[in-house]
Formats: sequence, C-alpha cells, structure tokens
Amino acid sequence: MLRFRSIWFARLAIILAFFALWEIAPRVGLMNERLLPPLSDVIAALIGLLGSASFYPHLGTTLFQTLLAFLIAVPAGAILGILIAENRFASEVFKPLVFFIFSIPKSIFLPMFILAFGIGLTQKVAFGVFSTIFIVMMTAFAAIASVKEEHLRVARSYGASTMQVVLRVYLPSMTPVLLEAVRLAMIFNFTGILLAEMYASRRGLGNLIGTWGMSFQLDQLLAAIILISGLSIVFNETIRALELRLEHWRG
Amino acid sequence: MPAATDGTVAVSSLSHTYGAESGEGTLALQDIDFSVAKGRFVSIVGPSGCGKSSLLMMLAGLRHPTSGEILCGGAPVKKPDPERIGVVFQEASLFPWLSARKNVEFPLSLRGVPQKVRTEKALHALELVGLKDFAERLPHELSGGMKQRVSIARGLVQDPQILMMDEPFAALDEQTRFSMGDELLRIWDETHKTILFVTHSLSEALYLSDEVLVMSARPGRIIDRIEVDLPRPRTFEVMSSPRFVELRERIWQQIRH
Ligand SMILES: Nc1ncnc2c1ncn2[C@@H]1O[C@H](COP(=O)(O)OP(=O)(O)OP(=O)(O)O)[C@@H](O)[C@H]1O
Ligand SMILES: [Mg+2]
Repeated sequence: MLRFRSIWFARLAIILAFFALWEIAPRVGLMNERLLPPLSDVIAALIGLLGSASFYPHLGTTLFQTLLAFLIAVPAGAILGILIAENRFASEVFKPLVFFIFSIPKSIFLPMFILAFGIGLTQKVAFGVFSTIFIVMMTAFAAIASVKEEHLRVARSYGASTMQVVLRVYLPSMTPVLLEAVRLAMIFNFTGILLAEMYASRRGLGNLIGTWGMSFQLDQLLAAIILISGLSIVFNETIRALELRLEHWRG
Repeated sequence: MPAATDGTVAVSSLSHTYGAESGEGTLALQDIDFSVAKGRFVSIVGPSGCGKSSLLMMLAGLRHPTSGEILCGGAPVKKPDPERIGVVFQEASLFPWLSARKNVEFPLSLRGVPQKVRTEKALHALELVGLKDFAERLPHELSGGMKQRVSIARGLVQDPQILMMDEPFAALDEQTRFSMGDELLRIWDETHKTILFVTHSLSEALYLSDEVLVMSARPGRIIDRIEVDLPRPRTFEVMSSPRFVELRERIWQQIRH
C-alpha cells in the first residue's frame, strides 16, 4: 500500500510542479508571456470559452464529425479485418497491403481529400475514416488471432452451431482486443478530424486552433488544447479501465 | 433407442490419411480395430505423433476417418454427440470469461436447456469432481488441477455414457497427476462410465486402466492389447509390484524404437 501511495504522490507532485512552473515561468519573465501565457490566464480563457455561446457550434461540429467517422470506421474496419483474417486467400493477399498502407502517414493525402470532397463535413468524415480504418483492420487481425483453437474445438465437440461458435467463442475471445481497437481508433480518428479542420475548414475546434495560432491568441489556443487533452484522456482511460477488467480473458 | 445410450465402443478397420485430397498425404492411422465393453477404463498409449489424438477426435465425431467404421453404443458416430460422448482435452480448455459453473453449463446452454436445470446439473457435476465451493470462480483463480477437474465436470454434465480424455493430466506435476488419477477412478466408480484415456505415461495408463492399447509409431496401428489384471482398488504401492513392473516393461519394449 505504501508503494501504491508513493507512486500516486510522485505523479501528483509532477503534475503540480508542471502547473506551478507554467504559472510562474511567464510571470517572472523566464518565458515570453506572448508565447506561453500563465496557467491562470489560460484557465480564465477556458472558462470564457465554455461560457460563450459561439464556442459550442465549433465543439459540436468537431464532436459530431469525430463520432460519425468513428461509427463508420470501427464497424467497417472490424468487419473487413475479420473477413480478411478468416479467409486464407484473402489473408495472403490483403494483410501485407493493409500493413503497407498503415505505414504511410495519412496526412499527406489531405490535399487529395479536399480536391475530391471539398472542405465540408464529407471531407472531414472521409478523412477521419481513412485515418482510422487501417489500425482497426490490423487490430481485428490480432483479434482473430487471439481466438484459441482449443476453445473452438471444445465448442464443436459439444455440438455448437456456426452461429453459436461466433457468438459464444469468437465474440468473447475477441472482446479485449476489439476494445483496444476502439481505443486506438478514437485516437487516430480524433487526430485525423482535427488535422483536417486545421488544414482547411470553416468551423470546428481544429479551425479555431489554427486561427488562434496564427493570430497569436495563445491563451485561447492553450485553453482548447487543455479541453481536447481532457476529452481524449477521459475517453482513453475509460476504455483502458474496461480492458484491464477483461485482462484475464486473454487467458 | 436404448442401444445408443449404452457405453460400448467398436472401431473397425479405421484408417486415416491427412491431406488425402491433395495427393501426397500422410498416413496417420492404419487398420485400427478394437472394441471396448461398457463401463471399462481403457487407455491408449504410443509414441508422440502416432495418431492418438487423431483417433480420439474421430471417436468423438470431430473428424471423419478416411475409411473404417466407428460405433458407439451400437450407433455410428458421424458428428459430435455430446449426450453420448463427453470429451476432455489436454489443455485446460476452459473459457476464461466464464465462471467454473458457467463453463460446465456451456454444453447445456448450447442446447437451450433452461437456466434452472443447467445450474442444478452443473453444480451436481462440480460436486462430483469436488469443486462445488469453487463454482463461481473464474478459471484464472483456479490451479491447473482444479481447472482440469472443471473440464471433467464439463465432460460429465450431460451424463454421457462414454468419456474420452486426451492427455487430460499431461500439464500437471507428477503428484497432482496421480491424485487426479485417483479422483478420476472414484468418479468412474460412481458413474460407471466407459472411459477412453490417451496418455504418454505408461505408469498412469497401467495404474488407471482395465486395458491398455499400445500403438506403433506412425502410421499408428494397434500393436498390443494388455489386460491389466492388477487388483482394484489400486494404491500407490501397486506401482512397485512385480506384475506392474512386468507390464510396464512389456509396453516399453514395444514403443521404445
Ligand atoms: N490437422 C492435421 N493435418 C495434417 N496432419 C496432421 C494433422 N493433425 C495431426 N497430423 C499428423 O498426424 C500424426 C498424428 O498426430 P496426432 O496429433 O494424432 O498424434 P498424437 O499421438 O496425439 O501425438 P502426441 O502424443 O504428440 O499428442 C502426426 O504425424 C501429425 O503430424
Ligand atoms: Mg496428442
């Protein structure tokens, strides 16, 4: 218990020290205040943002696009990945291709997405899906690989139908890895949407961040960064907590 | 059909070639003939790769032999029939996401048996293997021997007349292995099942069985059948009796090369 407590103490101390430094360094002139406004200014800006009605359409746009892309990319990627992994021929043909495409930075395709889809919702969602679907497919490959041959044999020896094998063996076996897919997908997806918004858009958090950056409104910019970081961390940690609870499922 | 519930097993001229379709196949089993009377405990031993697991899979209806016939309780085995034949595998092949009880209930739940009946039967089977108090534990909270006992309970839950076990205790340490053997003999005594037991261990085979079938290296054939005429109940001392040593030597001579 003592170790557990001291670990938490150390973590808290680091975070507090970081925030303290952030507050003090610009105030005493250690940092240029125009580049790094003190934490209290940023928090004031954050409160201002959250209190202003004109901010919410931007937040809403980004979250909506992210959610839409997520809802397309995760099931589509999972189903495609599973179909490919389950078929010997498709595995041989498509698995290396997916790995190749995964290794290419997706951002370089952004201009093409603009040419193809303009700079509206379609383009954002399409780019979000494109940024995400390959990592989901790769995780789905891993999910299929995590289904144990002996579990399938047990199910068959007790006369399970194909549907029962899918629902009672495949699905629970794959759940921990699929949760990981969900978590990684959200990171890739959110990144893709924000990037697309920063690059070319009329609305959205990414758009705001881009504008604030160019007009040197660092307190607003940092406020948005804190907000987005908070959202991402909460989502990620929720899924990770679920994953940890299922840890022993991996057997 | 009362014949189908009776626990006899008869195998005639069974052969199996893996990859027969693609021309160049491996002959794994050749001309296997044997029969097991109801309620007998029969072990199958043989060198690694001689086809013991393959044979058991076919007996359990999980794989079709290239040729030959298998009758269990007088009826041919075409596909898995868990009400007739229970199977226990080497690895503790429990589902890690289900409690011990839910694992034992699994075969029943596949057939849509009502929850109440399922629970009742599962608890009864767990009691038989001495794990009633551990019913709600997850597999990762159980020791290797306990997990294997849960698999045995799962094999027994539908009360099949025949139990097929493929090296069920191979992953356990020597001491646990023999106490599991005693446990199995007790269950066998209480339930009068026909048991077909594959093992690598000659001592284990002789200690447990009424009869030992000895297989040759690939292609697997049955090269000897040994009536184990050691008195029951058997205890640890039986293993140092001259008859035990003699039988062990006889099997060893046949599979050593
Ligand atoms: N699915 C398969 N496809 C092709 N060959 C197989 C397959 N399963 C088993 N074999 C081959 O058939 C032979 C018998 O295998 P089997 O697993 O039945 O042996 P075993 O006696 O159970 O071995 P062990 O004692 O090591 O468990 C081996 O040579 C093996 O390589
Ligand atoms: Mg084997």
